[in-house]
Amino acid sequence: MPRIERSAHVTWEGTLARGAGHISADTGAFAELPFSLPSRVGNPDGKTSPEELLAAAHAGCLTTGVAGELSRAGTPPEVLTVTARIVMDEVEGKGHVIVASEVDVHGRVSGIDEAEFARLVEIADEGCPFSILIKATASVTVRPHLDSNEESVGETYG
Amino acid sequence: MADRRADVTWNGDLLGGSGTIDSVGSGALGPLDVSWPARSEDASGGKTSPEELIAAAHASCFSMAFAGALAKAGTPPQRLQTSAIVTFVPGTGITMIALAVEGTVEGLDEDAFRAAAEDAKQNCPVSKALAGVGEITVDARLSA
Repeated sequence: MPRIERSAHVTWEGTLARGAGHISADTGAFAELPFSLPSRVGNPDGKTSPEELLAAAHAGCLTTGVAGELSRAGTPPEVLTVTARIVMDEVEGKGHVIVASEVDVHGRVSGIDEAEFARLVEIADEGCPFSILIKATASVTVRPHLDSNEESVGETYG
Repeated sequence: MADRRADVTWNGDLLGGSGTIDSVGSGALGPLDVSWPARSEDASGGKTSPEELIAAAHASCFSMAFAGALAKAGTPPQRLQTSAIVTFVPGTGITMIALAVEGTVEGLDEDAFRAAAEDAKQNCPVSKALAGVGEITVDARLSA
């Protein structure tokens, strides 16, 4: 199996409370994104944060996983829209802890019912590398939503 | 409590289809293209991937924890430069994260800098969340 490396780099200046940093992706997909403690734990004020990047990672990971399971089952998706939320809380004695990831998976897929869609989303969740890691330390909720396909409804009633 | 969100759209099957990280709650990034070949082959074609986003999350989280620990010890950093490399083996998972940090800090020796880096690696929220990764390493160097 190939071994893939992906990397990013960060520059930080100053203390935690008053300092600030910048994040760049080594693919060049994004660069020099500012971040700071106030924007991480309070109002983001247009700035990203480690938790937001994890939300993007989880949404991206599950999206490819669900597309893969649906494709393998012979019912590739027309469109998937996935939203992930990472929740960080202050836990007594432990400081800031990432406590949850909540993901909504909306799919428009022909030739599949809700139960089968939910089953394939669950298999994707079990295989998604990020889900596997985060489940060991936080609660993960993945909610499948099969969007009604107007064309197939039309065919049913037509 | 901080709640951070991201939205992704995917069109088509896994191998031939492609997706977009449309937006994030802060508005700081997106839309960013993603695809399976760009994720699972050496050449990314300039596209990001979940693993690169994890690298960005970990490098930024570690930098903040390290800055916090150094400031608490009375030796706040002037500058920290951190990289994170995430190793992904398709079919197996994320097997390793290698952090590397170079810092400019006055009044601190190399051993104390390394010890504080090790501590930040153990305690930053992303390290804790990803504790299941088999190997997380940190290489810490004090700038001359």
